[in-house]
Amino acid sequence: MLVITRKKDESVLIGDDIEIIVVKIDDGSVKLAIKAPREVTILRKELYKEITEENKKSISIDSSILKNLK
Amino acid sequence: MKLYSKHHGIIEYQEEEVITFPKGLPGFEDLKKFILFTVEENNVFSMLHSIENTEIGLIVVSPFYVMDDYEFNLEDKEKDQLKIKREEEVLILSTVCVNNNVKKITTNLKAPIVINIKEHLGEQLILDKEKYLIKQPLLKEE
Repeated sequence: MLVITRKKDESVLIGDDIEIIVVKIDDGSVKLAIKAPREVTILRKELYKEITEENKKSISIDSSILKNLK
Repeated sequence: MKLYSKHHGIIEYQEEEVITFPKGLPGFEDLKKFILFTVEENNVFSMLHSIENTEIGLIVVSPFYVMDDYEFNLEDKEKDQLKIKREEEVLILSTVCVNNNVKKITTNLKAPIVINIKEHLGEQLILDKEKYLIKQPLLKEE
């Protein structure tokens, strides 16, 4: 893993067409601006994790409970 | 072909019914091949069952069952990946988190599963829309 230090208004380039700019640094949080092609998916990791958890909870062992919904 | 599902008995299917998820599903990134069949106990629901792991079958429902005006945009890259050319080819499903208390059953409107029924290709999207919840109650409050 590459670790680099950046100051406000500095940025990193990833590949040919992705740029991540540090816009604001404020007491434990950073605001980032991301320039990337439309086809690149950008997600907050915790959202992806939540979906992962929810998918796991949707595994059915016993679907008989659904009978009661009719 | 026969799938010997660990929890749901033996399911007969045709090779051509298999839906490929090139990226897998979040949480099941390694599983690429699924079949879709109606849940015997209640035909509102279907099961998206892996044919690569006999223990993994997810309960799914049409999001329109929960919300009439559910909508989102399919980006061009998603249409390309799923080879979608016409609206009629698209099937949208939402996962269902079952609970013994029916009132606590929820469906995930934040991450619709999009399937091209003609090409048998699928992908689960994650929507950047505040109004759609990961835990939307299945039953409307009365």
